[in-house]
Amino acid sequence: MSFGEDSQDSEKDPVVEAYKKDIDRSLIRENLKLTVEERFRKAMALARFADELRRAGREARRPKK
Amino acid sequence: MTDFDALLAALTSHEVAFIVVGGAAGIAHGSARLTEDLDIVYDRSSGNLVRLVAALSEHNPYLRGVPPGLPFHWDLTTLRRGLNFTLVTSLGDIDLLGEIPGGGSYSDLRSGAVELNLFGTQCLCLSVAQLIRAKRAAGRPRDLEALAELEAIEEELS
Repeated sequence: MSFGEDSQDSEKDPVVEAYKKDIDRSLIRENLKLTVEERFRKAMALARFADELRRAGREARRPKK
Repeated sequence: MTDFDALLAALTSHEVAFIVVGGAAGIAHGSARLTEDLDIVYDRSSGNLVRLVAALSEHNPYLRGVPPGLPFHWDLTTLRRGLNFTLVTSLGDIDLLGEIPGGGSYSDLRSGAVELNLFGTQCLCLSVAQLIRAKRAAGRPRDLEALAELEAIEEELS
């Protein structure tokens, strides 16, 4: 599923190119197989997981009595 | 936690004219980066400001990150006097942007935006090319990381 035109800017920013080397393209490819709604539901599930992880982390850091 | 579908439903049910930008727009295009708020560019026409006030009124909008108790009235006067609002609501965090660097206002972005069918509604979202231009213009370190991913997405799509 693709949207819109290319950015058509051939200037390569060396910082961006450096970051690009570490991009996990397998994650992008997996997301591109999903519908837009599926991508959002996956992101929302991840956000819920992140919330739960933060809660668990706070609880773990609480001084034990 | 931000309830993206409920926020979008609140906006679309009140016929607010807006374009999804930022991290949520990246997700629409396949980004794997986590975002915790909904960023939108909204049309600042008078009628749309009225609709936007109505859309969020019942969801307790308040300025995000300010000391509690700071006076804030979610109304037309407030919207007219400001341009960008970073809000917390009962549905989660939403950023209302009158314009974005590298993109401009709603009317500037409208023609290049793409239409999404999302959670039973239709809304506009920045295209990958528009997102790339906006991230280049913003230029913060996190924007450069996001830009790298967007360019990778563009390459995967081409």
